[in-house]
Amino acid sequence: MRTIVVGGGVSGAHAALTLLERGLDVELWDVGREEAAFAEPGTTFHAWKDDLPDPVAHLLGADFGALIPPSDPELLRYPPSRQFLASPDDPLWGFKPDGFFPYGSFAKGGLANGWGANALSFDADDLSGWPVSESEMDAAYRTVYQRIRVAGPVDDDLTPWLRGVHPSEPPVRLSSADERLLRSYRRGKPKLEKSGLRIGLARLAVITEASRSDACDYCDRCLWGCPRSAIYNPRLTTLAQCEAYGKFRYVPGRLVLALRSRDHRIDGIRYLDTATQQVLEEPCDAAFLAAGALQTGAIFLRTLKAARLDVALHTEGLMDTGVVKIPFVSLGGIGHPPDARSFQFNRLILGMVADSPPWPRYLHGEILHLTSLLYYPLIERMPFDSRLSKRLFFAMRSALGAVTLFFPDRIASGNDQALVDDGGRWESVRLAYREAADKEHYVRRSVSTVRSALWHLRCLPKGLVRSTAGAGIHYAGTVPMGDGPKRCDPKGRSNLFPNLFIADGAAFPSLPSKSITMSLAAHATRVARIAEL
Amino acid sequence: MRAPLFPLWQIDPREYGAICAHLGMTPKARLYDQLFAYLAGAPFRFPRPGGFSRFLAKRRLTGWRIARLDLVTKLFIPDHPLRHILNGVIAVHECDGRGYREMSASPQGGNAIRSIVGGLIGFAFNLAITIPWLGWQLLSYVTRMPFRVSSGLAGKRALISGVNRGLGRDLMLQCLEQGAEVIGIVRNPGSRNALRAELPANAPVTLLVADLSRPGTLVAALEEARIAPASIALAIPCAGVKHEGQSVLSLPKLRDTFEVNLFSIVEFADWLCGSGSRDSEPFARDRSDAGDAPGPGIPPKVPLAAVERDRELSATTALVLVSSMGRWHGMHFSCGYNASKAALSIWGESLEMELRQRGSRRFTVTVVEPGIFASGMTRQTPLARMLFASRSDVASRIVSGALAGRRSLRPPFWFALLTWGICLLGPDVRYRLLARAKPRADRG
Repeated sequence: MRTIVVGGGVSGAHAALTLLERGLDVELWDVGREEAAFAEPGTTFHAWKDDLPDPVAHLLGADFGALIPPSDPELLRYPPSRQFLASPDDPLWGFKPDGFFPYGSFAKGGLANGWGANALSFDADDLSGWPVSESEMDAAYRTVYQRIRVAGPVDDDLTPWLRGVHPSEPPVRLSSADERLLRSYRRGKPKLEKSGLRIGLARLAVITEASRSDACDYCDRCLWGCPRSAIYNPRLTTLAQCEAYGKFRYVPGRLVLALRSRDHRIDGIRYLDTATQQVLEEPCDAAFLAAGALQTGAIFLRTLKAARLDVALHTEGLMDTGVVKIPFVSLGGIGHPPDARSFQFNRLILGMVADSPPWPRYLHGEILHLTSLLYYPLIERMPFDSRLSKRLFFAMRSALGAVTLFFPDRIASGNDQALVDDGGRWESVRLAYREAADKEHYVRRSVSTVRSALWHLRCLPKGLVRSTAGAGIHYAGTVPMGDGPKRCDPKGRSNLFPNLFIADGAAFPSLPSKSITMSLAAHATRVARIAEL
Repeated sequence: MRAPLFPLWQIDPREYGAICAHLGMTPKARLYDQLFAYLAGAPFRFPRPGGFSRFLAKRRLTGWRIARLDLVTKLFIPDHPLRHILNGVIAVHECDGRGYREMSASPQGGNAIRSIVGGLIGFAFNLAITIPWLGWQLLSYVTRMPFRVSSGLAGKRALISGVNRGLGRDLMLQCLEQGAEVIGIVRNPGSRNALRAELPANAPVTLLVADLSRPGTLVAALEEARIAPASIALAIPCAGVKHEGQSVLSLPKLRDTFEVNLFSIVEFADWLCGSGSRDSEPFARDRSDAGDAPGPGIPPKVPLAAVERDRELSATTALVLVSSMGRWHGMHFSCGYNASKAALSIWGESLEMELRQRGSRRFTVTVVEPGIFASGMTRQTPLARMLFASRSDVASRIVSGALAGRRSLRPPFWFALLTWGICLLGPDVRYRLLARAKPRADRG
């Protein structure tokens, strides 16, 4: 029996590993571009600039493509030296944005090559509306937490809402600014609890046990590519585990375009051989789509078109978490020197618990104090001339931070993917997305609560940065669980094709606020574990 | 020292030094080179400044001006080129290890508070100086408004020959800066490659090679590139040749000069106004002319149907003929040049008359007779330097004058008056003045 998993990211790696554990032969098809190794472990970000032959080209791009212009809403662009991200100029890209501007990757390991490492699990409240119970997911979560080491506290104020997280590593070291904020939090806790707000240590898929050779050495280069491989990356661990099985075959250089079907069963795969640029077909007996919700949706639509079924060629949904950043100045931090070494991503998280129907009760946020970004976009955003902005920025740098809130999403009419036949070798996919009007009230109320909380924490909130749709990089819901031909059943099996399994976020029928990577891995594990092959 | 291609966006080393002094940074040659490359691409990445913003961007950046503009642009004009310049300077210095350490050095503890308070007081003081300065700038801008020239080439296509140097190069840069797509003609592949390497990669320039001394090559190159004549909004056949120090009886040089300076332009105008007109053809072509036959090695004419179909056509086309003030008088050592320019001026006027007589409203013809300005064809004497009009200024006036439909332009006008004055004094005076002039080395 030929079982093919499509996609080499988190979902594909965990689906493949689970199938291998079941004793099956597994092929994993992937475009599989490789990112170069990150040099000079141990060197901190700012010291690293001295070692780079051309730091400007490395950090901003030889064509300055990563230099953020003034008045641009972005505060950060992935450095051009990170090759895991695909650009819309990529001939394989295939998406046409209509209010939704996605990130994509054709690298082995997918978007997890550059994820923020926040490892959380969905609870019963997050899963309300799913045809899957918390206990069904829990077994898969436990497997995933055995595969992925997570650093975090045994117990803190957020534990009641993050019970599904099973830390196995000590928490990531806090910066002195984080420590100051936590002290303010403990002092103002009674008031903050009234507004439903809790702060705790981040749960991060990072190796922190100092005795290990691959433990985080706090070099402040997470964004630029962890040179110690301390941050979980499916390419380095889960896929490596798969490769230990003799029944596993990793097949790079294949962009899957569509599945071929006969009598409502998948019997082949149409793909682009990226080396020869030929579009070819091969037979298969079962397929697990795990190419990421956007690519999975695109493959599913092309499959429907090829099958000439009487269904409209757009997906059931398209979701992403909305991202809102609230910058702040921590008044107690002014004049303090910055830490010499630090973990670059957020070390603290924030949870807001309140009844907000139809949204989950838990709203997730990350608190980040600046350590080692490129600061010029922040300097340009200050409301003074550049000379004074630069002076003030560096005088206050240790006091500067931002709360990032991730707003949940649900399937809404009009937010979907649709095939566009634009004369290319295969159909492109339009990504239509409009923010739901009722979400706006939820966003405003939540932002207002966080702003008030920041005042209690002796922080001065300043401004608001709302990212465009697609910036959350938590894509989901293109082939969701539920009833209907373009959905899948609770086991992830397509309602149309019984030997097709939706093993990634495409199957999520709603999108909670919490980071989804661990849930992607758990879903893929569960689907692969119970698939009837 | 490289001169900025787009002075509105790029800065020269002295301006870079002034900006670094303003920001409290140490200039670095390597970072300046990278900034230079970044800003060269800026006109094609970011919105073009217009109106008052453009007015403020035109002057050279000094320490005083940077301090005022930094505040003004931050508060009122966020897309002003200076914002991109300052943002770029901070970005490239931040990427540099030493640059970052320098910019991030800041006081700690109580000194940080004092630094912040001091900075805010300084900001108030800066504001108190800058607001009146801004008022003065605004007044200057308003008073010059009646004399403001149009600069509307955004999205249009300009065709310019001789773009690898001199006035042609400045015309190309001017058109690019104003948002045009440029089709540039150069004489040989070497010039094309050198120019391509100098221009930013995102500059919308198509460079074609045509040796204008060979009949038919320009039109052949355009047809081979499938350029639709009707897509051209501004055409400036600017390439010229001047053989100095030759006897007025040197027929080969005279022929070569007339071929480049006159006949290639007549051929080009025929292509532009004849085959490509969206209106009914203003000119009836006599295809029996031997001159219409392609020369050896020249590809046959491409049928009109084969040219760019999707290209948006221009409603009007401004044809600019670059003559010279030398056309008003003879000159013993550059006789061919002056004679060809005289012929070009007269031919241009005739072309304009014929177009008007035929009722074509699509084309305007502007005959430009530039006087003395900095170009490879003029001598760099101290007096000349004092009297020179800036070449980029001349280019700017040519473009805006052509777009405004002016029939003739003679920048700088004082030089035209001087030339006419000398001519009116009679041949004896003219002879005594001009016969003293000495030839330069031959140039083509």
